[in-house]
Amino acid sequence: MDLDWCLEKLTKNPPEVLPEQVVKGITEQLKEALIYESNVAMVESPVSVVGDLHGQYYDLVELFRVGGECPETNYLFLGNYVDRGFYSVETISLLVCLKLHYPRRITLLRGNHESKGVTQVYGFYSECLRKYGNANVWKYFTDMFNYLQLAALIDEKIFCVHGGLSPSISSINQIRVLDRFQEIPPEGALTDLVWSDPDAVEQETKPSPRGAGHIFGSQLVDKFLQDNKINHIIRSNQLCMDGHQVLFSGKLITIWSAPNFCYRCGNVASILEVFKANNSLTLKYNTYTAAPENERIIPSLETTKEIPDYFK
Amino acid sequence: MSDQKKDDEIYPIAVLVEELKNEDVQLRLNSLRQISTIAQAVGQERTRSELIPFLNDATDDEDEVLLVLADELGNLVEFVGGGEYAHTILPPLTTLASVEETVVREKTVEAIKKISKEMGEDQIQEFLYPVLKQLATGKWFTSRSSACGLFSICYQNVDEETKTELRQLFSDLCKDPTPMVRRSAAKGLAVLVPYVGRENLRKELIPLFVKLAEDDQDRVRLLAVDNCVALSKILTEDEFITYVIPTLKSCAKDRSWRVRYMVAERFCQLSEPIEPEVTKNDLVEVFIGLLKDNEEEVRTCATLRIAELCGQIRVYQDVIKDAILPVIEELSKDFSDNVKIALAASVTELAPIIGKEMTVEKLVPLYLDLLKEDISDVKLNIISKLDTVTQVITIEVLASTLLPVVVELFEDRQWRVRNAVIEYIPKLAIQLGVQFFDEKLTDLTMSWLKDSVFKIRQTAARNLVKLTKVFGSDWCMEHLLPHIFKLLEEPNYKIKQTGMYSLTVLAPELGNEIVTEKILPKIKNLKSDKVANVKLYLAKTLKSLLPYLEENTIQQEVKPCLNELAKDEDPDVKHFATSALNKIS
Repeated sequence: MDLDWCLEKLTKNPPEVLPEQVVKGITEQLKEALIYESNVAMVESPVSVVGDLHGQYYDLVELFRVGGECPETNYLFLGNYVDRGFYSVETISLLVCLKLHYPRRITLLRGNHESKGVTQVYGFYSECLRKYGNANVWKYFTDMFNYLQLAALIDEKIFCVHGGLSPSISSINQIRVLDRFQEIPPEGALTDLVWSDPDAVEQETKPSPRGAGHIFGSQLVDKFLQDNKINHIIRSNQLCMDGHQVLFSGKLITIWSAPNFCYRCGNVASILEVFKANNSLTLKYNTYTAAPENERIIPSLETTKEIPDYFK
Repeated sequence: MSDQKKDDEIYPIAVLVEELKNEDVQLRLNSLRQISTIAQAVGQERTRSELIPFLNDATDDEDEVLLVLADELGNLVEFVGGGEYAHTILPPLTTLASVEETVVREKTVEAIKKISKEMGEDQIQEFLYPVLKQLATGKWFTSRSSACGLFSICYQNVDEETKTELRQLFSDLCKDPTPMVRRSAAKGLAVLVPYVGRENLRKELIPLFVKLAEDDQDRVRLLAVDNCVALSKILTEDEFITYVIPTLKSCAKDRSWRVRYMVAERFCQLSEPIEPEVTKNDLVEVFIGLLKDNEEEVRTCATLRIAELCGQIRVYQDVIKDAILPVIEELSKDFSDNVKIALAASVTELAPIIGKEMTVEKLVPLYLDLLKEDISDVKLNIISKLDTVTQVITIEVLASTLLPVVVELFEDRQWRVRNAVIEYIPKLAIQLGVQFFDEKLTDLTMSWLKDSVFKIRQTAARNLVKLTKVFGSDWCMEHLLPHIFKLLEEPNYKIKQTGMYSLTVLAPELGNEIVTEKILPKIKNLKSDKVANVKLYLAKTLKSLLPYLEENTIQQEVKPCLNELAKDEDPDVKHFATSALNKIS
């Protein structure tokens, strides 16, 4: 598998999608690598934490311009690589290739959109159909999503997850023993980890209005931090107009990395740089706006391949 | 000829016939793209007698298919026997010239023009002219519209009597009841103008041009502007003033913004061939009207052309000063962002045209206002061309007026603005001189190396190279290197990498001795850094510095260091170290 060749194609302007057989190959390879990894990735600082990308490829390119390139820079992605944007295929392909090429430099967690069910509704499925003429690539990627790790610990002090906490999880070890190799179920601990949201006011943990996961407040956060001897929780899952939002006096941070979300929300994006200075962990936000108009190409939505049979 | 041979020759056509009956559009398209091959296979005579007639019957199909058919027909001249027989391809093309889909008709006209180029005068008179006449007097507006595109190629190659008839036909088309036809005629007029001769131009074509310019369809009227451009190249000055300028003036005040926009778009093309005096007398006021237009698009379009127009009338400095500059000042307060962005793009180029004094008096305040705008494209447009201005004004003026504002932009929120400022600094350095630079700018230049945006750090590092080229390597050693070495001790791994990158890009400027004695020892310290990314970057840096090191230094100092890195437990450190070691061997 010539990853340099793949990366060259994917970093062209405009990017070129990889052939179907190559996608099959890289997703197989990543599954084989991830099968041995724990549900909780142990990450060492320095590392830059990245929130939702949602197929906004040109903004991922902008992110690398601002945050630095891989492998010179370490990255931890919190999930939601696909759906909504126009370039989910190119975005996830690029990240998979980077992960295979530099496994120690980049970590990919699972978000609530890394799911067969959700991607059929929010755009990844139809994008694959449009760009490849069939659903095979969608299947390769979504099969691979079942292998992505659920959470990360930076220097054993900062807990990172896509959504948030779960009423059924009080210790990180409980996360380690879950069976993650499945489609995200409608409820349960795995679901909570990728679907939950914090609430600044709410004290009790309640089911989330999203229909999956829970809402949790400072009570659960304090207990989780104390019981697990950690200092911060970093998560994504919710749009922030300023690119990030800090709750509970700095204990919980939401980071969002899709600027001008859906090409119309007008928000900025942030990444969170975690590094050691004077022997203590420092957190620094790096905020950026969407790549300018003249550096992105809006794809034409013409169908260039055969429309699938069930539409005829 | 034996039956077998006969079958061999018509067989490809039979296959084509079958394929063109296929339901699948893709297959039909692929077959049609093979026509040249088939024509070559069956030979010239059968192409003329069988293939072309068959294609004439294949003109009832989807637009996609007809488009390809028209295109391929245009390529068949050599396969029918050259220019002498080119006219045999006309029948199917004539049919295609009448179809509903505009794109197909346009391709057909192109194809007809293509094959007509191979035809001699006789053939054009005998074969093309009747086709044109047939189309021009056709029942459907589609064929009449296509006819308009064929006049110029026909006209050049026929006798006087036919020319008169052609002009009559053209005149009828210009007055056609269907707007689409009048549009095509208006387009065709510009192309015909060079060929009809001055007498006919004045007596016949110009009245037609004026009439089309007053058409009640705005899409016909806007084509009058292109016709003005064509006429400006042929007419004498007096003729231009008499016949064209009145029409141009009414287009510039047309009730439809599209027509006014077209005038703005083509303005400088119009004014270029004529004498500056005429431009000054008659066209400047038209241009100013466009700069003040109600419609944002028109103002933007005109604003982009300010510098070009002023360049054309630069002998008339007082006109520029009294008539145009006041309008520019108003435009800087326009409520539309696009107008201001356009103004920023064109106003820097005005400086060399109006000279130092006027620039300082009138333009510098304008630049200062624009640099304070919140719109990053405005700032970018000014900064990226600021060196055009600095070549015109003195360094004292620059230092006291523009520089403080530019310095503020060093910290603009938008990294691309900061980037443009960094790119501008070396150009400034030459004019400012070492002392001024050291006093005011060196610290700022170094602070960019710690910018939070990666691209800025890269640009800042490369900027050091440009400065070193201006001020010399001694200056670099004294003023820059100490700062860069400090970067290698910063806690943040990205800054350490920036330090290493700066040293890599400066190496060619500083020379082998400095690289060996000063730089190498400092960076080697990083080999025991705790962060793998620093170590892998060190390996990359050592590899880049190899061309600037002596052989024994490499063997004694670099190789051991790389060997150590190659044993690191991190696979990426190992990889880059090994790659560097491979380059040594």
